[in-house]
Amino acid sequence: MIKKRTRRTWTHASLHLAMLAVSFCMLLPFYWVLKTSLTGENIFVYPPSIVPVHPHLFYYIDVWYYIPFPRYLLNSVVVSVLSIAANVVFNALAAYALTRHFRGRGAVITVLLSCMMIPFQTTIVPAYLITAKLGLLDSYLGLALPTFSTIVCIFVYKASFEAVPRSLIDAARIDGLSELQIIRRIMLPLSTSAVATNIVLSFIWSWNNFLWPLIVVRDPLMQTLPLGLSRFLSYHENTTGALYAFCIMVLAPGILLFLMAQKEFIRGLTSGATKG
Amino acid sequence: MATAVDFPAASEATSGAVGKRARHARPGVRRRREMLLVWVFLLPSLAVFFLYRILPLVWNAVLSAQQFSLFAPSQWIGLDHYREMVDDPVFWTSLRNTLLFMASAPVGILLALAISLIVNAGIRGRDVYRTIVFLSYPLMTVAVGIIWRWMYDEKVGLFNYVLRSLHLIDTPLPFLQSFELALPSVLIANVWQILGFYMIILLAGLQGIPQNLYEAASIDGASPRQQFFRITLPLLRPSLFLAFVIGIMTSFTSFDLVYVMTQGGPSHQSELLITYIYKAAFELSRIDYAAALTIVQFALLVTLTWAGNRLAGGDAGAVESGA
Repeated sequence: MIKKRTRRTWTHASLHLAMLAVSFCMLLPFYWVLKTSLTGENIFVYPPSIVPVHPHLFYYIDVWYYIPFPRYLLNSVVVSVLSIAANVVFNALAAYALTRHFRGRGAVITVLLSCMMIPFQTTIVPAYLITAKLGLLDSYLGLALPTFSTIVCIFVYKASFEAVPRSLIDAARIDGLSELQIIRRIMLPLSTSAVATNIVLSFIWSWNNFLWPLIVVRDPLMQTLPLGLSRFLSYHENTTGALYAFCIMVLAPGILLFLMAQKEFIRGLTSGATKG
Repeated sequence: MATAVDFPAASEATSGAVGKRARHARPGVRRRREMLLVWVFLLPSLAVFFLYRILPLVWNAVLSAQQFSLFAPSQWIGLDHYREMVDDPVFWTSLRNTLLFMASAPVGILLALAISLIVNAGIRGRDVYRTIVFLSYPLMTVAVGIIWRWMYDEKVGLFNYVLRSLHLIDTPLPFLQSFELALPSVLIANVWQILGFYMIILLAGLQGIPQNLYEAASIDGASPRQQFFRITLPLLRPSLFLAFVIGIMTSFTSFDLVYVMTQGGPSHQSELLITYIYKAAFELSRIDYAAALTIVQFALLVTLTWAGNRLAGGDAGAVESGA
């Protein structure tokens, strides 16, 4: 008969072992691409070496010569900033409205929840026609417009706004603040983590967006980073380590932001989750 | 909604009473202005959703019954596109693949359930494990596709190297160029990326289960296994349902992965409906046929969500009342 204490230790050890195996599988692709970007040696050599031999940063510089990297970066940044700004403002306005009672509120919430069930990808064909009709093909606005407001983020704001004490808002109103001022001076400062969630989520979504730019962008100068990446792949296949250096450069901002704001990110996803 | 107090006079609100009486006392002009303001605030968001969700959905249905041309007015042709689909082998292949993609969701969810149970068991370093498992989710899918493509590479890919070193195979496997292996290879990459998201949802669900239920159960002598099947699993149903919905939605969102890894090839063997929709609309310029394909996939999504909801006990939609 094993003592209870020892059995507990054993259980924990096996749990750790399982999680280490999982972590290994999850991290392996990162390691492999990082290694290739630093050496590129196993592009032509078999067997590949497991540890990097003679690592260098040559490929990271090479990327700048293969493609107009700064231009792609600029496009991606502009589109992301537009999307973030719009999300932070529009979602806050909508969420503030939803904390009120008004006729049709239930209907609006139902519409929002139903819209969550329409994946953006199902809309691509008409969305392309609409954007073309608006004359926004090949433009920053056209790239960012569909991501200007996100339902999940509205609900994140709404939950946060509802936690603001009613008396505070009433006091502000008596002091003569307009509704816009109440949002700007009271709601938003008291909801910093909801703002952070909005920023993080809208950044990740617009930064990673591929299908939409693929459809609305024809002009080579308007390509965003994911498009540049896929073009790079179709031009050069995997003949150069620069492709993998490019991958790392594109992934880095997302990973860094995620590691810094993990809490906000997860809260956003799960609160969207519990809201249907 | 208990927390949202009606647009009230200050005294009413602080005393906790909903300001019904106050509303009557107030001049109607102010009330109307407030109503107007509410709609003005809602307008930008609703406009975006109307323009890029609702209108496209309707327009898809209209387009699918039309002969669309850029240069001539569209003509009604009824269900011709759907009839064409029946005889379109690529449609059937992509439908099968989409269903397989959806079917891979429960596998991933099961894996994520095991992981979240371990992480939730209070082992040391749980936050680190959680971060590692979740790290792949926020990544740019195009880059993920390129990374996996590289690992699947026939000549110098990691998988072929490992399999050859272990003498499991003699000749390298062309994972992404093979009829049988292309789709499963993409599926694995997809599970790798989405696993962390499932885990986060299930963890949130697990943490929502009141701890005293377990205490009461162990006092009553319930074994861990009984506790799992009688408490954890039933109370986790809404989270499992949600993970399932997200899983079947990845059959749409995995466009990026398929596009980068296989382009739907070889000869459409890893084609999904969404990649076929894209090709039909933007490579073959058959916007109308693509719209019909979209309607089919959307119908599939709604049907499966409904069925999943029934399986989850029919109350998974009840979270809406909390919104």
